[in-house]
Amino acid sequence: MTYHFRQALVAMRGNFTATLATLMTMTLTLLMLGFVLLLTLNVNRTLEQLESQVEVAAFLNVGTDGAALLKQVQGFPQVREARLVSSEEVLEEMTRDSPYARDAVTLVGNPFPTTVRMRVGRVEDSRVVAAAVARLPGVGDVEYGAGYVDPTVRALTAIRAAGYGLVGLLLMGTLFNILNAVRVAMYARRNEISVMRLLGATRGFIRMPHVIEGVLLGVLAGAVALAVLTPAYFGLARRVQLLAPVFPVVTDPAVLAPILGGVALLGITIGLLGSLFASRRYLQELE
Amino acid sequence: MLHHEHDFILPNNAALSIRCRGKRMIDFKHVTLEYPVTRTLALDDISMHVGKGEFVYLVGHSGAGKSSFMNLVLKRALPSKGEVRVAGEALAHYRGGRTALLRRRMGTVFQENLLLPHLNAYDNVAFALRVTGVAQREWPARVTTALRTVGLEHKKYALPLQLSQGEQQRVAIARAIVSDPPLLLADEPTGNLDPDNSREVLKVLQNVNLRGTTVVVATHARDLVETFRHRTLTLRKGKLVRDDPYGGYAL
Repeated sequence: MTYHFRQALVAMRGNFTATLATLMTMTLTLLMLGFVLLLTLNVNRTLEQLESQVEVAAFLNVGTDGAALLKQVQGFPQVREARLVSSEEVLEEMTRDSPYARDAVTLVGNPFPTTVRMRVGRVEDSRVVAAAVARLPGVGDVEYGAGYVDPTVRALTAIRAAGYGLVGLLLMGTLFNILNAVRVAMYARRNEISVMRLLGATRGFIRMPHVIEGVLLGVLAGAVALAVLTPAYFGLARRVQLLAPVFPVVTDPAVLAPILGGVALLGITIGLLGSLFASRRYLQELE
Repeated sequence: MLHHEHDFILPNNAALSIRCRGKRMIDFKHVTLEYPVTRTLALDDISMHVGKGEFVYLVGHSGAGKSSFMNLVLKRALPSKGEVRVAGEALAHYRGGRTALLRRRMGTVFQENLLLPHLNAYDNVAFALRVTGVAQREWPARVTTALRTVGLEHKKYALPLQLSQGEQQRVAIARAIVSDPPLLLADEPTGNLDPDNSREVLKVLQNVNLRGTTVVVATHARDLVETFRHRTLTLRKGKLVRDDPYGGYAL
């Protein structure tokens, strides 16, 4: 194994430019992936918070059978929980928030309609549920905070999708770089490989230095990516907490460790798989 | 393991007394080799055998089929027709990873010595043991014995560039025999050498043969074939046209 390890280091030093290019692309890919994963984690956390706050409220027309409508609404699979709030209860709430509401009642009567309040399983479902409930007979109007839920969900989903798309492209770029690095290294060793084959070396023996090279590149790229990503994330998290405390930024190490560890592990896996594939393919080419 | 140390200089006809011991090391049965891309007929219905412990020359003009013969034995090419056996086993049985095991049973020497330029003579010879997984503790004794057999024990720390062509070829022979293979294939081993070095290399090959190793030498060198007489197979345009048990170059 010492021999293979030494050969891998010799190959990396001998093809320094290709090695550096591969290392940089891998690191960039892992950084991007880490960024997108952390972003997704925080997006999900924000969406969860939105979910816990967002309510769909259906205001019933006078004379509507609220209990029957509640049953109907509870039958929707997207609705996690629903309750009927009478106009008197609404008035109570409103009076708590603004005491002058009680004075208004003495002038015009209770202006608040009986309301069915619903919480949805996923915040993205708010619009669908609102539209479905609005079509039910006896429902006068529906509110669901459309002003901020829709654009927020759209923006966050788009950012997440773009991030994953970019990571996909970078992963492909990394794989091509590994293929190229292994190919150059094997070409440089072609005389040695030819001698090894004549002497009866197995394919595994010949390929081993290149596989080690791929794994080493993965380990290095993973380490660099973590060294950059971890302090950068915690620095950014502190700033967000300071400037926009409304966002629930994740800083719990127990939650972050598997994601950061996964990024490093992915680097090693890409290095291993890329070099396994490349060494197998280019050894056949040399044969 | 190399067990015996022989005198480096041998009488020219020393190997004649140990020729053909009955069992077959190489066996060709109606072997035809046609290269598919160029449709070149390299070997045409060859049937012959080389006995264990024999020293055999393979002679012929360029393109006669000598290298194709070697390539078949090494399983670098597959016969279009017929069967090739080495040490009693059909080469068709060696597939994929098993080809490496076949090659461990043969030493090979080529016109270009294929020494690794960054390794000294000792390490070049030890390389054969490394790639076949021989325990490192066994290397010193085996490498030293192999280098002694080719008369280069005193130059074990020399890099290939510091050795003459003949010495480089002898290191290549040491590398080929260090695993103690029962068969040694030499394809034009003296092709790049002057007459003196060629004679030295031939003497080393005879020395190897005296240890019991079957040796097959493909060569153009008429003077060597005439001087160091052994069984000689003559190929012409892919056909085996002559099998002279007492040697001689007759094209």
